[in-house]
Amino acid sequence: MRRLAAALPVAALLACLPAAAAPGADPLHWLQRAADSARTNTYAGTVVHMSGDRASTSRITHLFYGGAEHEKIEALDGDRREIVRHNEEMQCFFPDAKTVRLDRRVTARFFPSLVGGTPQAIAEHYHVKLGAVERVLGQDCQWIHLDPRDALRFAQRLCAEIGSGLLMRAKTLGARQQVLEHFTFTELRLGPQVSRSELKSTFHAQSKDWRRDNQAAGDTRQAATGWQVANPPPGFRLVSEMQRTLPSRAQPVSHLVFSDGLATMSVFIESMSSPVRTGEATNEDGALSVFVRPMGENMVTVLGEVPPAAAQQVGRSVTRQPAAR
Amino acid sequence: MTQELSSLMDGELGADEAGRVIGTCCGNEQLKQKWQEYHLIGEALRGERPRLGGSTGRIMDAISREPTVLAPMRRATPSPGRIALAAAASVATVAVVGWIGMQDSATPAGPSVAKSAPAALEAAPVAVANVVPLNNVNEYMVVHRQLPNAQFYRPVANQAAGGR
Repeated sequence: MRRLAAALPVAALLACLPAAAAPGADPLHWLQRAADSARTNTYAGTVVHMSGDRASTSRITHLFYGGAEHEKIEALDGDRREIVRHNEEMQCFFPDAKTVRLDRRVTARFFPSLVGGTPQAIAEHYHVKLGAVERVLGQDCQWIHLDPRDALRFAQRLCAEIGSGLLMRAKTLGARQQVLEHFTFTELRLGPQVSRSELKSTFHAQSKDWRRDNQAAGDTRQAATGWQVANPPPGFRLVSEMQRTLPSRAQPVSHLVFSDGLATMSVFIESMSSPVRTGEATNEDGALSVFVRPMGENMVTVLGEVPPAAAQQVGRSVTRQPAAR
Repeated sequence: MTQELSSLMDGELGADEAGRVIGTCCGNEQLKQKWQEYHLIGEALRGERPRLGGSTGRIMDAISREPTVLAPMRRATPSPGRIALAAAASVATVAVVGWIGMQDSATPAGPSVAKSAPAALEAAPVAVANVVPLNNVNEYMVVHRQLPNAQFYRPVANQAAGGR
């Protein structure tokens, strides 16, 4: 009887185990947690982003209150600049130019907010599975592996803190498993010790009489461009369509944005009075592919965190939209 | 060369190769800068707060103060022994630096789907011969990434008000 009594707590513990393990075993659940956590958790930390040959460092402060995200991103390298974001509305402070630019988040990937689409939609084009549990910055982290089902997107490795689901690291891998792009926290505070006062821009007081540039925010209003991509890679859907005004361009540039929930492609179509390039051209920079293609009196430029083949497929299938629509 | 530099920092190069890479690195400003960047990245990956400029500057100073270890080989036909010595010393330096590397070291455990991925998942050959300079698409890159790029404003700032 004593032996049975001693065994009982163990049995009870064992009975609990499957229930406790179940929420952690579904990789799609982890993807959802990563997306939710980046949005609704409170955290502040230093992020290093490596892409191609470059590394850049920024400090992020993120809070969620009043049903909205509030975030500040300070660039720690190069020219001083800062973003304060409330949901999709962004204010970018440029102290050297004494300018505040208003913008709306469309294509920006602000780590740790990398998972955009629903896990189910992502799983249609990536094999999603759980990898190892690893200690990162003193926290236990679950690696999530996303391997593409075709050659038109890159593999991703996401490392989510077990308690909150917040991504601590993220890597984009090329076809030979080489790291093309890498985000990592190098220091992180998670939870209530991050205060609202930290959100205020460093330049809040002095920026009162700075120039305000509303162009970008206005540009991100949805507008028909008259262009379409007839044959985007599977899973890439048109998520935004607008006209952009760029400092160096006399005429507005059409901008179409495609996303598969993880990777994003921008398609720019500008009219050229005299085409500067006669043939297609391509380039790569870290995970970013660039594809340029002259098309009559227009120039098509595709940029995206996708393999060159995907950027080409998109760029080559840009056509005028049928007039009757 | 960049890949070789990375391999050197990982301690993966043989003695001959290491000697050659070190020789080239120290005579090339661009590669020196990469060497700096790799150290900065290494620090970041180790969870150290990147000390912008300072630490990498000191590393480079240290390199330039150690000509017998890291300077390019001046002799036309250096003896194999000397290369080996230089390489051994450099490997020791690399070990002290403790580079972690951008390799996918975080996920080696367990079978990897991607590593056994069929060849069909390799990206299709790129049938475009021309390279578009990244500078040509810089403005689009800024728009695509929505990065707060201060340079966006340089030309605007010089114009009269309303120039945008």
